[in-house]
Amino acid sequence: MTAELPSFQRYQLAFTARLRDTKNAPPLAGVPHERMAVYEEIVFNNLFESVSACFPIASKVIGKRKWLKLNQAFMRDYSAHSPLFRKIPEQFLQYLNKPSAELQQLMPDYLNSLCHYEWVELLVSGIEEANPQGLQPDGDLATDKPVFSATMQLLNYDYAVHKITPRKKPQHKTSTQLLVYRYADDMVKFIELNAVTYRLISLLLNEAITGKQALTLLAKELQHPQPESIIEFGLSILEDLRSQGVIIGTH
Amino acid sequence: MAITSKIHGAGLGLKRELIPQIQSAYGQEQLSNISFLEIAPENWINVGGKYAKQLDWFVERYPIVCHGLCLSLGGLSPLNVDFLRQVKTFLHQYSIPVYTEHLSYCTDGFKGEQGYLYDLLPIPFTEEAVHYVAQRIRQTQDILGQHIGVENASAYVASPVSELSELDFINAVISEADCLLHLDINNIYVNSVNFGFDPHQFLRGIPGERIIYSHMAGHYQQTPSLLVDTHGENVIDPVWALLEDAYQLFGTFPTLLERDNNIPPLNVLMHEINKIADYQNKAKDNITREPSFKAVCQSAVAIG
Repeated sequence: MTAELPSFQRYQLAFTARLRDTKNAPPLAGVPHERMAVYEEIVFNNLFESVSACFPIASKVIGKRKWLKLNQAFMRDYSAHSPLFRKIPEQFLQYLNKPSAELQQLMPDYLNSLCHYEWVELLVSGIEEANPQGLQPDGDLATDKPVFSATMQLLNYDYAVHKITPRKKPQHKTSTQLLVYRYADDMVKFIELNAVTYRLISLLLNEAITGKQALTLLAKELQHPQPESIIEFGLSILEDLRSQGVIIGTH
Repeated sequence: MAITSKIHGAGLGLKRELIPQIQSAYGQEQLSNISFLEIAPENWINVGGKYAKQLDWFVERYPIVCHGLCLSLGGLSPLNVDFLRQVKTFLHQYSIPVYTEHLSYCTDGFKGEQGYLYDLLPIPFTEEAVHYVAQRIRQTQDILGQHIGVENASAYVASPVSELSELDFINAVISEADCLLHLDINNIYVNSVNFGFDPHQFLRGIPGERIIYSHMAGHYQQTPSLLVDTHGENVIDPVWALLEDAYQLFGTFPTLLERDNNIPPLNVLMHEINKIADYQNKAKDNITREPSFKAVCQSAVAIG
């Protein structure tokens, strides 16, 4: 197929094949090695820096050598589809989600969750604001539908990703629920949730229901003997989330 | 309507690291020679939070030009039309009159996708490449409804399949595409060392009447015959001499300093911006620009 391409494009294909895989792709005929090496270095280093900047913990946790290998494989195997530089880490995540057998050996089970957790901060810092129509900032959370910040991400991991450090790698799975959002001062904030609060927020996000309706459902799910206490307690949690800017009002 | 004549004098490439310094020194005499700023749309399209606020702040206070990195005019994959529409919306939204790109490529169509490699790779200088690139520039201009400028790119490898000189390639593309020239003075110098030609002679062959604005930058000398376009050093004297020569030949044009790596404090960068302004003032005393420049610029104006 490539034989049908004009000569300049056949050359470009050989050129980029070499950039993607400097170990295995053939060197270009008639091109001095040290000149080609400039491109091989800058193209990889650019990508490597863009990825690494987003994953300071993951890159340290698995160690320099393995991190480099993962990035070399990303360069070699992945066809990036976004022209936006800030989408590079997201594309790296997509790549990690479908690893080859060879790659999988380099990746501890918790790596994808950890990388996702690190990437969420980048995501949340840049999400565009939304100004929902008819928002009542001081509306009644019990009788109206609570509206959450457009930047909020509700996250459920199998590992305690927020506690991982290079010296403290997870030894076992720990179901972990986190809420990440951007506060009015543009800082990204993380809140650790318990399973019940996580479920409450999920219900409110996925169903068109009021705060009280969600809490009634929740009390049923929990088979709680005193649903009123769940409702009372739950509403105080929702008020707390409003004071922190996670809930921005009601509909 | 956006007017390209807002773009004049000396400018600075807006890097994130510089934003707080510019904001805190804004309005002071020391920044008076910054007449416009340049941003890469790839870094600012659809941003929210503090980035959106920063963008609003700068758009309110400075004329802005957009200098793209990932359009891949010489790329192997089809032109990314969805992205180009985003660029168009972005230019419109912020009343940005100028959009330029590189005469290079950054996509290889790997696995049937765009295959972005996020760097500026050299297009081989062949007749077929001239038609291919010119057609893609025309397509870009049709979608945007305005002329774009294309920048002469730096390179480290001379393609063995090339049939034309770089100068002939640039001239042929610009003429066939009917676009503007974004003249990178440092890139002329870098390539003159990397490929052994006379940069002043090169300058005499470019279509000066199509210059929309120019770039100045520093580079890294890897060996005496290999310069790497890092934008991480001060501008060297031979590059200043080229700028002076260009002003003599073509009259002054807007000129912007790019500093992307190893960025010194703003007050140090201002020395080079002030120097650009000095060269412009000196050249203005001697020469008035050919009127054809204005004609070309006016045709770049029609947004919306």
